Amino acid sequence: MMNAITNLSPEFSRRRFLGVSGVLVLGASLPVQRALGQTSAPTTFEPNLWLAMDGDGMVRATVHRSEMGQGIRTALAQVIADELDADWSRIEVVQAQGDAKYGDQNTDGSRSITQNYDRLRAAGASARLMLRQAAAKRWKVKLESVTAANHEVVHAASGRRLGYGELAAEAAMLPVPGNAPLKKEAEHRYIGKPVTHVDAGDIARGEGTFGADFSLPNMATAVVVRCPWLGGGVKSIANKPSDEPGLVAIETLDAAPSAGPYFTPLGGVAVVAEDTWTAVRVAQGLDIEWTESPNQTFDSDQHRRSLRDAVAKSGTAVPGSEKGDVDAVFAAGGTELSATFETAFLSHAPMEPPVAMADVSDGRCVVHAPLQDPQSARPLIAAQAGTTPDKVAVTPTLLGGAFGRKSKPDFALEAVELSKRLKRPVRVQWLREDDIRHDYFHAASAQYHRAVIDDEGKPTAWLQRSAFPSITTVFAAQAEQPAPWELEMGFSNLPYTVENQRMESAGIRPGVRVGWLRSVCNIFHAFSANVFADEMATAAGRDPIEHRLSLIPESGKLKQPGQPAPPGHELDFGRLRHVIDRVRKLSNWDKPRPEGVGLGFAVHHSFRSYVATVLEASMDNGRPSVSNAYVVLDCGTYVNPDTCVAQMEGAVVFGLSLSLYGDIAMKEGAVVQSNFHDYPMLRIAEAPATEVELVPSQGRLPAGVGEPGVPPVAPALSNALFAATGTRHRVLPIRA
Amino acid sequence: MGHKLNVNGDVADVDVSGDTPLLWVLRDHLGLTGTKYGCGGGYCGACTVHVDGAATRSCQLPVSTLQGKAIRTIETLEERHPALVKTWIDNNVAQCGYCQSGQLMSASALLDGNPTPTDADIDAAMTGNICRCGTYVRIRAAIHEAAGQGTTGGTE
Repeated sequence: MMNAITNLSPEFSRRRFLGVSGVLVLGASLPVQRALGQTSAPTTFEPNLWLAMDGDGMVRATVHRSEMGQGIRTALAQVIADELDADWSRIEVVQAQGDAKYGDQNTDGSRSITQNYDRLRAAGASARLMLRQAAAKRWKVKLESVTAANHEVVHAASGRRLGYGELAAEAAMLPVPGNAPLKKEAEHRYIGKPVTHVDAGDIARGEGTFGADFSLPNMATAVVVRCPWLGGGVKSIANKPSDEPGLVAIETLDAAPSAGPYFTPLGGVAVVAEDTWTAVRVAQGLDIEWTESPNQTFDSDQHRRSLRDAVAKSGTAVPGSEKGDVDAVFAAGGTELSATFETAFLSHAPMEPPVAMADVSDGRCVVHAPLQDPQSARPLIAAQAGTTPDKVAVTPTLLGGAFGRKSKPDFALEAVELSKRLKRPVRVQWLREDDIRHDYFHAASAQYHRAVIDDEGKPTAWLQRSAFPSITTVFAAQAEQPAPWELEMGFSNLPYTVENQRMESAGIRPGVRVGWLRSVCNIFHAFSANVFADEMATAAGRDPIEHRLSLIPESGKLKQPGQPAPPGHELDFGRLRHVIDRVRKLSNWDKPRPEGVGLGFAVHHSFRSYVATVLEASMDNGRPSVSNAYVVLDCGTYVNPDTCVAQMEGAVVFGLSLSLYGDIAMKEGAVVQSNFHDYPMLRIAEAPATEVELVPSQGRLPAGVGEPGVPPVAPALSNALFAATGTRHRVLPIRA
Repeated sequence: MGHKLNVNGDVADVDVSGDTPLLWVLRDHLGLTGTKYGCGGGYCGACTVHVDGAATRSCQLPVSTLQGKAIRTIETLEERHPALVKTWIDNNVAQCGYCQSGQLMSASALLDGNPTPTDADIDAAMTGNICRCGTYVRIRAAIHEAAGQGTTGGTE
C-alpha cells in the first residue's frame, strides 16, 4: 500500500528553483539524450549523495537540513550549484528523508553551513570535474583544454560545447575523483550572492507544504487533551461521547515520566475524528480527571524566588574560571557594583503549532512532519511503531517556524501511536493552547554580578553567578546542575579582561520540560552581562561603547575555561571590536538624540558569530517603544547575504518579543497563559526600522546566522531605556 | 448539514455542522490548505481570507453565516494581485512562510481599499497578523513597492 516509503513527497520533488526574476523555469531548453549513441537506458549521473542529474540536465540537489525560515534549502543548494557551475534555473531541491547516510541532520545550533560548507563544495566540484572529463573524452582533447560554465562544458579552441545533460550518461561511467579542485572566491557565482529563496514562490501562492498540509487518503485527525501538569495520566473521562458524527475514536495515551521525560509524548486523551473541527469540538468538551504527579506543586513565582536565592549565595565554581583573588579585591573596597537579573520562562510559539502525520501499516511507518531532526526521530518512531528504523521513512515538510521546538519529535510519536492503534493514517494537530502550555520551555533564570571597578570603569574584580534549570533535566531524572555547554553560552566565555574573576553556577530542577529556544542560554547571559557592563560605564561616567572597547583586548583569541573552541572558531577579539566599531558608525552613535530618546548598545559572540546591536528607544505612554535597530554581523563566510540580513531583522523582532512580552508562568504545575492574547508577540507597528551591516568576511570559516542575532537585543533595549529615562531594567520581560 | 459556499468564484457544497469555522472547511473539506491555522482565536491572522473583499479571520467564521458571501483565499490571490505576489517573492519577505498567506490577504485587502497606503495605514491594516520570524520590515517594504507598481485595481 505504502510505496511512498521510498519516494520523496511530490510536493518537494515537483518544486523548482525560482530564478531571481521570479519566473518559474523548467528544464526544457536542453535536448534530451541527444547523439549519445547509446542503446541502453539513460544513466543517472549521481556521483555523491548531494546531486543527481539525468539527460534532461535538471540537477536534483539534495538538502538534508530542515527549512524553518533560515533559508537553508536555498543556501545549501547555492553551495552545490556554485561549485558545479550549474545554471540556477536548472536546480531542483530535493528534501532528504532522515537517514544516517547524510551524517548529522539535526537542524539546530546554527551550524548547517558551518558543518556542510566544505563537503557540499567538494560534492559540486567533483561533479563538475567529471563532466569536464566526460567532454574531454568525447572530444578526445586534454582535460585542461575544456572548461565548465553555466551548465555547459566548453572547448574554447574549437568552439565546441555540450550541455551538462548531454554529458550526464558518460560522466556517470567515470570514477568519482577524490580531490577535485575548488573554485577561487572570485569565481563564485552563487556563494555570497543574494539569491531568492527556492520556496518563496510557493509560499507567496499558498502552495508550500507545511506539516498540516500533507495528507494521505483515509487520514483521520487527532486533537490530544493533555494533563495540565507534567507526568499526570488519565484517571477517568466523565463524559465520553460515542455517537458524535465524524468521531472516530477516543484513545487514552500513557503519561510521560514526571522527571527526565526526554521526547516521550506527554500522554492524555486523543480525540480522533474524520475532520479537525470535530476533533477540536469533542476534545474541548471532555471532562477529564488526571492522576497526580510531583509536578503539581510547581509554581514559577516560587521557582524564580529559588533562582534569586541561588545566586545570592555561592554556587558551583566553573572549573578553570577562577583568576586572581576576587574576595581580596572585594575586601579591599573601592567602587563596587552589584546587580541581580531575572528572566522568565518562554514558550517557542512558532506560528505553526506542532503537527505530524503518521501512517503505520504493513510493518512500515511513514511520517511527514515539521521536524528539525528527521534522522534522530527515526529510531524513536520505529520503537513507537513497533518496527525497525529501516522500515521507517521520515520526511520533513516545511517547518512553519520552530526555534528549537521541533527538534523534539514528541508530537510525531503521538501520531505514530495513534496510527498504529487505528490502522489508518493519522494527523495529530496541536492547538495553539497546547503549544503554549505543553512546550519544552526556555528556562527561567537569575544572574548575579558583582564587580569592583577602577576610575575608568574597568573591573578589577568580577564575580558572576548564573542559576537556571538545565536542559539536561529533560534527559535525566537526576540531572540538576547546568551543563558546561550551557555555561559556554555567554557566561564562562565573556571576552573581557579581568584580573580577578570567579564564575559560579547553580541548577534547580523545574516542574516542566525545558528545552533550547533560539540562542538558548545566550539570551539571559548576554542580557545580564551587557547590562552590567553598561552599569560599569555609567558608574565611571564613560561612553558605553568606548568603555566596552576598553575591556576587550586589541587582538588575540579568548582562552575560555573548559573545552577550547574548535580551531578557527575561537572568539577573536579583533573581530569582536570590529563589529562594535561598525555599529557605532551605522547607528550614528555619537549624534545626540532628542530628550527622552536613548541609544542602547550590546555585543555578543555566539554560535561562532559576532553581533553588535544598537537600539534607539523611548517610553511612549508608559510603554517601551523602539524606533530603530542597527545590527552588525560577522558570521565569517556567508552563502546568502540577503538571508543573513533577514535573520538579523527577524532576530530583532524575536528579541523584542521576549524582552517586552516573554513571560510564561506556572501555577500548580499548569501553565497560566494559553494563546496570543496573554502571551503576546511583537506586531508590525512595534517593529523598528532595522539596518543591518554584514561584515565582509569571506575566506574565514562560515559561522552561525539563525540564532546569534537574538542575544544582544534584550540588553540593548534595557540599556537604551536607561539612556532615555535613567531607569535600569534588570528583569525580563521589561514592564514599564 | 449542507452549506453552499462561493469560494474563489466556484460554488462548493459542503456537508458539515453549521458551527464549523470556515478555516477548517477550506482546509479539510475543500483541500485549500494555503489558509493556515495559527491560534483559533482570531489573534494571529494566519487564517485571513477575504469575505466580500474584507480581510477576515476564517477561524472565527461559522460556515452557517457565509451564505451568499464571496470568499477569496490565497490560492487565487495572484490572479488579482500579481504585482503584490511578485514583490513578496522578489523581496524575500517570507522566512518560514507559515503566516504569509494571511499577511498577503491582509495586504491585498488594504491595497484594494487604499492604493497608496502610508506606514501608519500599513500598521493599522496589518496589526492583526503576527509574524514570529519577524518579517515586518520587509512586509512594509513590499506593500509600498507593490503600491508603487499599481498592484491595485483588481476585480472581485
